[in-house]
Amino acid sequence: MKDPEKEVEKVFIGGLHEKLVEDKVIDEAQLEPGFADEIQKYGGKDVMTCLQCGNCTGVCPISLKIDYKTRNIIKCCQFGLKKYTLGTRWVCATCYRCYEHCPADLNPAEIMIALRHIAVREGIIPPFIKTAATNLVKYGQSVKPDVEIDKIRMELGLGLIHSQDPEYHTVIREIQVLVHAAKYDKLIGIEEDVKV
Amino acid sequence: MTAPAPQEKDTGTSAPRKEAGSTTGPKIGVFVCHCGSNIAGVVDCGKVREAAEKLPGVAVAKENKYTCSDLGQEEIIKAIKENGLERVVVASCSPRLHEPTFRKCIQHAGLNPYLLQMVNIREQCSWVHSHEKVKATEKACDLVRMGVSKAAELEPLEAREVPVEPSSLVIGGGVAGIQAALDLGNMGFKVYLVETQPSIGGKMAQLDKTFPTGDCAICILAPKMVELSRHPNITLLSYSEVEEVKGYIGSYDVKVRRKARFVHEDKCIGCGLCADVCPVKVDNEFDLGFGQRKAVYIPFPQAVPLKYTIDKEHCLHFKSGKCQLCVKACTNKAIDHTMQDEILNLKVGTIIVATGYETYVPMKKGVYKYWEYDDVITGLELERLLNASGPTGGHLIRPSDGRPPKRVAFIQCVGSRNKKLGNNYCSRVCCMYAIKNAQIIMEHEPETEIAVYYNDIRAFGKGFEELYHRIREDYAVEFIRGRPAKLSLDPVTKAIKIRAEETLLNKITEREFDLVVLSTGLVPSEGSKKIGKILGLTVSPDGFFMEAHPKLRPVDTAIDGIFLAGCAQSPKDIPDSVAQAKAAASSAAAPMFSKKVLIEPLTAFVDENLCIGCGLCIELCPYGAPELVQSEKGGMKAHVIEALCHGCGTCAASCPQKAVSPMQFTDEQIYSEMQAALMEPAKRQATKKKAEAEAS
Repeated sequence: MKDPEKEVEKVFIGGLHEKLVEDKVIDEAQLEPGFADEIQKYGGKDVMTCLQCGNCTGVCPISLKIDYKTRNIIKCCQFGLKKYTLGTRWVCATCYRCYEHCPADLNPAEIMIALRHIAVREGIIPPFIKTAATNLVKYGQSVKPDVEIDKIRMELGLGLIHSQDPEYHTVIREIQVLVHAAKYDKLIGIEEDVKV
Repeated sequence: MTAPAPQEKDTGTSAPRKEAGSTTGPKIGVFVCHCGSNIAGVVDCGKVREAAEKLPGVAVAKENKYTCSDLGQEEIIKAIKENGLERVVVASCSPRLHEPTFRKCIQHAGLNPYLLQMVNIREQCSWVHSHEKVKATEKACDLVRMGVSKAAELEPLEAREVPVEPSSLVIGGGVAGIQAALDLGNMGFKVYLVETQPSIGGKMAQLDKTFPTGDCAICILAPKMVELSRHPNITLLSYSEVEEVKGYIGSYDVKVRRKARFVHEDKCIGCGLCADVCPVKVDNEFDLGFGQRKAVYIPFPQAVPLKYTIDKEHCLHFKSGKCQLCVKACTNKAIDHTMQDEILNLKVGTIIVATGYETYVPMKKGVYKYWEYDDVITGLELERLLNASGPTGGHLIRPSDGRPPKRVAFIQCVGSRNKKLGNNYCSRVCCMYAIKNAQIIMEHEPETEIAVYYNDIRAFGKGFEELYHRIREDYAVEFIRGRPAKLSLDPVTKAIKIRAEETLLNKITEREFDLVVLSTGLVPSEGSKKIGKILGLTVSPDGFFMEAHPKLRPVDTAIDGIFLAGCAQSPKDIPDSVAQAKAAASSAAAPMFSKKVLIEPLTAFVDENLCIGCGLCIELCPYGAPELVQSEKGGMKAHVIEALCHGCGTCAASCPQKAVSPMQFTDEQIYSEMQAALMEPAKRQATKKKAEAEAS
């Protein structure tokens, strides 16, 4: 029988802990010099200011449910263990509670966002993120329109959701143009159905 | 080489620096310092020297590995004598470090010491531009060119000698102030010790035992307090405040307000009959709200002076005009409700500032629930609860129910090392006082479970590491590396649950405790801020007073004759406070022993021909140095009292007539520096060629 929590962890944490257990010795080959600078390039503060006090982990609402340690990820960033961290960041809800509590005035939530930027550019995109991104480009919203939902809406006397609205198609078109111009589609790897 | 004449300017009557009729400026020597690799590692000193050699007026330019060394200074003296140098430019570090050194050096060679110009190519060049070597060298050349240009305009000045009053003012009666006062008193100087509280003793008097040796704080402090009060050379002004300080090293005029304590100090014998009958009970500040005192009180049994004080705010007589029970009880007729504040004027030669610290007060809605849960207390409150003469007689209890706690947690770094609060510094004592208090608790109640939540343990002093080891080995106190994230209260058991990541275990832990002690850090005291304003002291970014030099002048301030001792300068433990107090006392004694001191002549002077007597400088001067006097030529003119002037230049910058200028920063000198700064190398060449052509 599958443990649902373990399954969630696998999807969200990207096997950080398995990697930590597998690599008995961390040698220089695993370290990525300049990783801290790269994080700063994508909007994070300097991870080297972190004191490793663990306050962020303690206040993190995600840590209540799954084995997720904000401090641990920041430590990996300090170390330059890029390959460990890139699979982990999608679980962060960016509630900024860690930022409120951090005595080093670091902003762990924004570091998670920076890690997402880096990971996507490296082509590490979890399938559910790719689906949501593709939906956004296709339908103008991250959840795919569903015929069943439309039926219920009609029964309740609600109108069509806007992605089904013919007038809304021009808006979707604008989104697609923007997405294409920003090379977002290429970055995410969306090929189908987006024609500009 | 022959230097071309610098541009002659009409400088009116104020040009004694140039010999009458001479067409050449003064001979200038330039000395470029490598400072080991501090400067030479970035700046190409050879190039700077070559550039300096070509400057107008420069007769000699030399490089040195360490100009400040004996060898380097010897070379300057030699160059002055051999080449007949009239001005010296030293391109090295900040003038704050070695200007006095080189002034003495050139004085030794027969030059007026104020004919020296320092050029800072270390702090303001090589250190800040360490990644741009070429540009740094260019900047160094520019700075030297400016320095040389200004040096040509320098005028000889004479330092003034002033007498030094053989008395000292010590502000603050904590352990640092007490020690400084005793040392100066023992050297034979008159000392006035001013303390705002009714008793001296400061924070040390509130502590239980002291780390790492476990001496009882009051047992080692009280004899010193008594010695001070009986010392023939020391006047103890307790319950008093410094209101105003004027003057300069050697003669400071101090105004002290002696607050009315409504008990005549000369009549009170400290018997306590008044307190016995006083019907008013209020929280005792000394016990931080745990104990109580009367409206007429001494803060603690060992108070010095042992004189009672009436708390005007709570005394019934002041509230209703009745009561007077204490007056009836006092057999010596010492109590006088009509007493008024008195102002005392003192004249002292030196001042020691020992205004101490306050402990950080946790935030009202903070994570650690200090204001919400009774059983969350601060380290200083724990000291009172552990103290044998404290409100509980030394029995540790839980404030909520009065029962002894079985599980105690210490949370470290509360209010320190926190960028969010702006308190980036380490308070230096919290680790050790928590460890020491853990030991005391374990000695009282060996069954207690103790956990210390820490980030880093700093056991750096003599015997500290040994105590840290002992507390882990002998008492099995648990150390959890992690900053607690959440505290929650069990409404039934009143236990406090702490949630924290044990970062070394990489696990989130949740544990329950009966008592939580916040190891709060030290912050500058309110009194310090007030005294700092009165004396015009500078503060560091952390809010504590800034010393003149972090290594070489750790007890001096930027103002001559004012010294620092104890936690007013930075958080420190008792041995360090005492050591600094002794250092401050000996530094303050030096000018008092020699009875006279030289004061820099870098003051402002007024050109009476230009002054229109508008009085703007008088309004703006922070030291009250300028005054308006009737001029011989008619009309009111400003006149600067040299003794009061600090040479800050505020008057010169604001004078609408440009009548005021500070010595060594006159308009001519600054303009000549600016011209040199703005002169492009190419243009300089052109001017040089032009001058040569004219000469031939």
